[in-house]
Amino acid sequence: MTSTLPEQFRELESYVEEWALPTRQERYDMRLSKTIDELGTFYDALAPRAEEAIAYLNGLDLNDLPEDATRLLHLLYSLIMVSYPVNVFKQPRIPDSGAAFFDTVVEPAV
Amino acid sequence: MTGIQERLATGKGKFTPRYPELGTGPVSYEDSISQEFFDAEREAVFRRSWLKVGRVEQLPRTGAYFTRDLPGLGSIVVVRQADDSIAALHNVCAHRGNKVVWQEHPAQETKGFCREFSCKYHGWRYGLDGKVKHVTNSDQFFDLDMSTLRMPQLHCDVWAGFIFVNFAEDAEPLRSFLGDRFLELETYPFDKMTQRWGFRTRIKGNWKISIDALLEWYHPPYVHGRFIDPDVSKAEKLVPPVDSYHYDIFVPHMLTSVPGPPLLPPREAGRAGPAVRDQKWIYRLFRAGLFGPDDVPDLGPMPDALNKGRIASWGNDQLWAFPNLSVQLWARNYYITYQYWPEAVDSHLYEVDIYFPPPSNAQERLAQELVVDSTIEFAMQDSNTVEATHSAVATRATRQFQLSDQELLIRNFHKVVGDTVAAHQNADPTQEQR
Repeated sequence: MTSTLPEQFRELESYVEEWALPTRQERYDMRLSKTIDELGTFYDALAPRAEEAIAYLNGLDLNDLPEDATRLLHLLYSLIMVSYPVNVFKQPRIPDSGAAFFDTVVEPAV
Repeated sequence: MTGIQERLATGKGKFTPRYPELGTGPVSYEDSISQEFFDAEREAVFRRSWLKVGRVEQLPRTGAYFTRDLPGLGSIVVVRQADDSIAALHNVCAHRGNKVVWQEHPAQETKGFCREFSCKYHGWRYGLDGKVKHVTNSDQFFDLDMSTLRMPQLHCDVWAGFIFVNFAEDAEPLRSFLGDRFLELETYPFDKMTQRWGFRTRIKGNWKISIDALLEWYHPPYVHGRFIDPDVSKAEKLVPPVDSYHYDIFVPHMLTSVPGPPLLPPREAGRAGPAVRDQKWIYRLFRAGLFGPDDVPDLGPMPDALNKGRIASWGNDQLWAFPNLSVQLWARNYYITYQYWPEAVDSHLYEVDIYFPPPSNAQERLAQELVVDSTIEFAMQDSNTVEATHSAVATRATRQFQLSDQELLIRNFHKVVGDTVAAHQNADPTQEQR
């Protein structure tokens, strides 16, 4: 399989399609579409590589990231997005948040 | 007391008795459920106060504009003029009243750059200053005075890069409205914090009940307990003691300051340790937490006016600009604004904007992502609680409610709104009959 991530992170390729998402809204929608076990599986795959991924990305210009590095950064955003459900809430939704929901009006391009 | 509570306790006693005009008795929330009060409040408060509508960074050059559709007040166009000043125009055509500036959906806000505004209905055109420049087939009209036709202006002024408008005919100057306690923060480096996230939601509850939820530090172990510890009895012990917070009232505005965790030393790469399912590990990995990024960018000198309560381990200052804006200045060099736009007695729009300095690398960017994510997760719990509160208060099954010392800003806020409505009605007796 050709990797769409930087070569050293190719073992994470199977998560790219679902989790390398550019907007917060898409990442949040994906989180709600998953079971807590599925979120845990993604977390357990990403977390052990996260520190290495941050170091790799720190070596690049954040405002001029190649596409493969951008995908890796988006995977890390998704790791943050699933971290509260996996580590704290034990469910995809925030407890007691009911129907509450925020629309994203503006967010950084990168 | 636990360790954190011993470290932060001040023994300074209660705040409310310092403000005898607030009293200490039970309060009514009729002002949050009465349609009659809501109508009076819109006239007396929202049509007569300076209201933040944006930041100067949203208008980077001449011709840049954005529209705001402010519930119950109207649609306005905020635009950068040829002389670099910023003006606000009512978004209405002098011909037959069509909304001039909109895209695709007339009810949705828009933004862009232009040389002039063109009405979609019959092609009338207006300059950036709102004055009519072109009337289609003007010779078909009768006695048109082109020199007076315009999109009407409303008061607009800028403080520290925040754009404010005022719908009153005779608005007092913005700077005197804001007063010394805001003006002394004018040198805060808002202009360096241009990395922005903006969020918006609709909450089915009165806007004041929503503000009440952020005016006290009594609720966190319960509403947000799981962020702190899933066991409420443990969460209760991990929040700062009641006397560690600071409150100040400078009518019509007010302030609360919050302690926060001390800064961590810089971390060398590779020290997060083996991956585990523990949010503290996530905080270590991404170098951020509930109080902001661990690595605080140097933005130069800060105004002395921060942390006036001299909290030993300062987390943030939360300034409340009457009537509907909170500006939170965090010790870790970012800021958040909350704003509340009432739509009806039982509904409002709630906006959260989070601003950081632009990140210099992926680590800083990821720390911001974690802070934003945490902020919004918290805010969603608060929002849902507001809906639960409003629905219960509105039954009028109970009409008197109890406020503790650390809820003094709630006492003050409702008093200031009530006093403002009463003062307006006394000044204009026709209001009461309307």
